[in-house]
Amino acid sequence: MKSITLYLLKIYQKFFTLFSFGSCRYYPTCSEYAKWQYEKNNFFLATLYSLLRILRCNQLFAGGIDYPIVKMSLNSNTICYHNANTNKIIVKFWFVPKSDNDYYLIKTFKRNSHCLTK
Amino acid sequence: MTQQQRMVLAVVLSFIFFVAYDFLLPKPKHIAQENNQTTQQPLTTQKANATPIASSAPAPMENKTPTPAGITKEQSDTKNIANIITPAFHAKIDELGRISLYEVLLEKFKTKDGKLPNLVDPSSPVKPLEIRFSDPALNEEAFKVPYTASSSDIKVSNEDKELVLTQKLSKVTITKKIIFHPNGTYSLHISLSNPVEYYVSPGFRPKEASDKFTFMGVLIRKADGTIDTIKDGGAKGNEVYMKANILSACDKYFATTFYNFKDGFDVYITKDAKEDPLAFVKGSKEFQLSGYAGAKSHKRLAAIDPRMTDIIEYGFFTFLAKPMFILLKTIHSYIGNWGWAIVATTILLRLVLFPLTYKGMVSMNRLKALSPKIKEIQKKYKGEPQKMNAKMMELYKKHNANPMGGCLPMILQIPVFFAIYRVLLNAVELKHAPWMGWIHDLSAMDPYYILPILMAGTMFWQQRITPTNFTDPMQEKIMKFLPLIFMFFFVTFPAGLTLYWFVNNLFGVLQQYYVNSIFKKEKEQKGVA
Repeated sequence: MKSITLYLLKIYQKFFTLFSFGSCRYYPTCSEYAKWQYEKNNFFLATLYSLLRILRCNQLFAGGIDYPIVKMSLNSNTICYHNANTNKIIVKFWFVPKSDNDYYLIKTFKRNSHCLTK
Repeated sequence: MTQQQRMVLAVVLSFIFFVAYDFLLPKPKHIAQENNQTTQQPLTTQKANATPIASSAPAPMENKTPTPAGITKEQSDTKNIANIITPAFHAKIDELGRISLYEVLLEKFKTKDGKLPNLVDPSSPVKPLEIRFSDPALNEEAFKVPYTASSSDIKVSNEDKELVLTQKLSKVTITKKIIFHPNGTYSLHISLSNPVEYYVSPGFRPKEASDKFTFMGVLIRKADGTIDTIKDGGAKGNEVYMKANILSACDKYFATTFYNFKDGFDVYITKDAKEDPLAFVKGSKEFQLSGYAGAKSHKRLAAIDPRMTDIIEYGFFTFLAKPMFILLKTIHSYIGNWGWAIVATTILLRLVLFPLTYKGMVSMNRLKALSPKIKEIQKKYKGEPQKMNAKMMELYKKHNANPMGGCLPMILQIPVFFAIYRVLLNAVELKHAPWMGWIHDLSAMDPYYILPILMAGTMFWQQRITPTNFTDPMQEKIMKFLPLIFMFFFVTFPAGLTLYWFVNNLFGVLQQYYVNSIFKKEKEQKGVA
């Protein structure tokens, strides 16, 4: 279910963003937001938050930066990086604590070759 | 208002929007006269299908009770025993007591050589009013023994006319009493001399208006008022619906329908070799129901019973297409032209959304003052689109300006678009509905490609005057070609849909100019002061 949704979102971003490009009032964009949610949150919460986000994405709201909030407990080893000792850690997501079990989910910016060569 | 309150408001408003349309609007009083009223000219045209082609009898069905038994014999050369002419249709009854020809007297569907749509295809596996018995021997006999008719010619004008068909079989005598009403419906009363199990059919679906995109098959309005559809090629052959109140076999524009809102009837579906559904209603010793065959015209169906309009099927988007049609129809009743009704609907939708778009445009103009800062960001984060986006959003928020329309208005457009598309495709009223000049049929493509070109033109224009900032040069290029892509995309679409999109773009452009001029004035006033 999760992978299907992520796959559909990928297709959406590839093709349909062309039609709707430059309409989202937020960073990350609604589709990106949904992607992060589905990756790190449970399916139903992700669906709920993504829908609420789309509903919020209209001119009645200010827009701007709005990071996904995910529920999890840090006690679990779900986020443990297994090859931590190789000291080649590539950070994909930052979990910034909001309250007890809620975290802001922030994805690191993609570094492309253009930047690395500089 | 806090963020949360506004969000709740947005959710509630959009919910109300959908619900209100569905429940409040579908039952308005119909003021307008429909312009496709049938003409009363008697049929002078060819006696089409006077000798029906030998209908290939359906493959013998396994005689599983309680499904109706199949006929196994070839029916060739069935003679017609009665002729019925009403203001709405012209029909013939064959010697097996079935309707063998049913021509709808609709001027706009008349072909150039004067042919009218015939809802009973000679090759149909089952014909309207056909009776099948569970007992195979009896069934076979029933397809050999001819019926007798009380009258060979029936003319209905202002009052009900009755036709009694009788068939004397060895075990049982069947009496079919049909009362034809002036409004195009009929009442059917079947009585048997002694009880045997039998089924009667509204017939196979008409084969007059077919295409791949619309529903064709059997539609059932169940006891609880919900709709079930079985499309051609998708019949399991064992579907049963107890106490259903409508059974309709339909193609795109026409339907042959049984209905009984008082007592309901039990529907049994079998299938033919192509897995097309064959619909039957289980009869009893004294059995009564009503029937209607003809165009699925909203006005006509609503006049029979408001619930009858449920047989107009728009597919997945029915919940939106139906209110859209009602809206169009209401406007049409004042304007009298479907094309202008589409234009008016578009403007109406635009006006409803105007407060939103206006807000967006205002903040867009505020942004113009920020353009040096935007350029700076674009330069600084070239090649890092995500980072650039984030920085840009930061800037917008700081200055309380956000030029983007938002995903919600974008997404809301899609169902509206599909609803109009389905209405144009399915509503019989829009078939052959002209707009002006070169558009003679809104449900068909623009023969001269003028509307698609106009649409692409206005789209390009709108892009030109709408300030956007692209983070990706590739995307900018694609955006430039988008009007062109859309133009080819829209070429084959119904003219009415292209008209909607064109008017929508045009008013977007006008709105933009209007807002721009307001800002100019404000600035000038400030300058003077």
